[in-house]
Amino acid sequence: MSSSEVGNGDILLRVINLRKYFSVRRGILFKRTFYVKAVDGVSFDIGRGEILGLVGESGCGKTTTGRAILRLISAEGKILFDGVNILSIPLRKFKPYRRKMQMIFQDPYESLNPRRRIYDIIAQAIRFHKLANSAEEERELVVQSLEEVGLRPPEEFMYRYPHMLSGGQRQRVAIARTIVLRPELIVADEPVSMLDVSTRVGILLLLKELQKKLKISFLYITHDLATARYVCDRIAIMYLGKIVEIGPAEEVLTNPLHPYTKALITAVPEPDPNIKRGKIPIKGEVPPTAINIPPGCRFHPRCIYAEKKCMECEPELIEVKPNHYVACLMIQ
Amino acid sequence: MATNKEILYIDELKVFYETKRGSVKAVDGVSFNIYSREAFGLAGESGCGKSTTAYAIMRLVPPPGRIVSGHIYWMGKDILNFDDEELRRYRWKEVSMVFQSAMNALNPVMTIGNQIAEAILNHENVSKDEAFKRAEELLELVGISKDRVNDYPHEFSGGMRQRAVIAMALACNPKLVIADEPVTALDVIVQAQILDVLRNLKNKLNLSILLITHDLSVIADICDRAAIMYAGKIVELGSVYDIFNNPLHPYTQLLTKSFPRLKGERRGIEYIPGAPPNLINPPKGCRFHPRCPYVKDVCREREPKYIEVDGGHYVACHLVK
Repeated sequence: MSSSEVGNGDILLRVINLRKYFSVRRGILFKRTFYVKAVDGVSFDIGRGEILGLVGESGCGKTTTGRAILRLISAEGKILFDGVNILSIPLRKFKPYRRKMQMIFQDPYESLNPRRRIYDIIAQAIRFHKLANSAEEERELVVQSLEEVGLRPPEEFMYRYPHMLSGGQRQRVAIARTIVLRPELIVADEPVSMLDVSTRVGILLLLKELQKKLKISFLYITHDLATARYVCDRIAIMYLGKIVEIGPAEEVLTNPLHPYTKALITAVPEPDPNIKRGKIPIKGEVPPTAINIPPGCRFHPRCIYAEKKCMECEPELIEVKPNHYVACLMIQ
Repeated sequence: MATNKEILYIDELKVFYETKRGSVKAVDGVSFNIYSREAFGLAGESGCGKSTTAYAIMRLVPPPGRIVSGHIYWMGKDILNFDDEELRRYRWKEVSMVFQSAMNALNPVMTIGNQIAEAILNHENVSKDEAFKRAEELLELVGISKDRVNDYPHEFSGGMRQRAVIAMALACNPKLVIADEPVTALDVIVQAQILDVLRNLKNKLNLSILLITHDLSVIADICDRAAIMYAGKIVELGSVYDIFNNPLHPYTQLLTKSFPRLKGERRGIEYIPGAPPNLINPPKGCRFHPRCPYVKDVCREREPKYIEVDGGHYVACHLVK
């Protein structure tokens, strides 16, 4: 299977056949071990300075994928960062990569230490990676990062505690803490879903700005197709541990090919009473855990177009249009 | 709407939370009405007072909150004067509520059927069997097969639990159901299915729905009329077409533009700098003036009047004449 190419071919991250199975023991009398295949053979690339959206419903494995890429959890497969398979680097030698690969979490109320001032929250990252040679240099870096995330004037925010800031300001601090390290890749896991609508857009625009100014690549993990449309260059749709469709954002959203992508898009209500939602072309509900993955195409029990072959043969991602890949037997 | 009669009328409601630092004016002079058979949306950001308004309608404002002044008329009678017995009859039989994340508050050791039957037995003089039979009917009504009536909550998916909670709210045939963020924690496909359930119930049972949400797309999807709240006040109220196609208040205008669209042409999105004010000491004049791009001197001094600009379209802004 070939992964989709990035325009100029300058690939920062290449994920090849990533797998993460969690074992669970179930049963009352006879305990049996089952495997939850949270991520089950995921491959994609992220170009330098590109924002890739990883979209799916809860439990599809999008967060697990993000965490595996940063090696916050173990996983199998290959993750090539700048050409080096980081899964084969021993963890004790991994620290230099931690600086290059950072994460923004969903909840800025939980991700910032409530007992530390904003200055120290950011300085801690600088100290850990020994990026400043003197106290002045450290201060300069903190001030610069706060300015870059739009917390101006920095002096006004530096000595506050997280509880004195609004949700949007906190998320900006969390972003400042990552960009002060000048990372090459940021995994942003639902960075705006806890925020109020009026502040959400500010954070989205900030991510775009950082992408342009600092050439940072992002893996933007979300369940929200509408925000993904505004932020992402390309979008990957995940279902039960696999990518079912990947391509340029506008192309995937305006011309979806996989039946699951179509259902997702139909289900989203628009902020406009003149646009009425159609009937959602899907059956049933997502299985709560990925323990018993259906044979063949894993979407077939819910697919309204499914035929016999879909129950027998697992589809692979195939390029059906330039850069637009779909895993569906009915299309290929 | 003309043939539908007004069932709920809220008049200058004020609900304050008394804290050590002062009283938080969570709801500060809110007026609106709800007609029979309509879905009315109350939208705003967190902390704007929309949930507090809902709690006041149920007379369930949690301490240290209290209803300071105003009236809530249900079918012409002020519920703020109800005694305990009248209140018991009013709650659940007239107006019921789907609480925020109620789907996660179901009793884990009781079957879904028994939980719904319990709600019926608490309010109506029926036998256990009758109540259980009614529970089965209610589950079918929200799209759950009655074979699942003996299931426990953990055997239900998130969407099914939310349906069960809606069935419970319908237990005593209320005329108005208040739904506080009913689809917020759900995935998009399930969210769409629940919205369809609410819409069908409204049409089938001649129900009115008060939908509380921060998500304007949900309002656009199922509501007939909507009010936008900001910092304890309604800034604009009208039909959903008024609100979305012809918003007059700058806050409504910016809020509707800050929602990214998935369908149709990709348009620029805007955001509102700053944050909502502290409700202990709200800004003088118009409460939105510190964030308003069109602010004038008068906005900083005088509070704008809430005026009707067009049939049923109300707005509180000095710039709208």
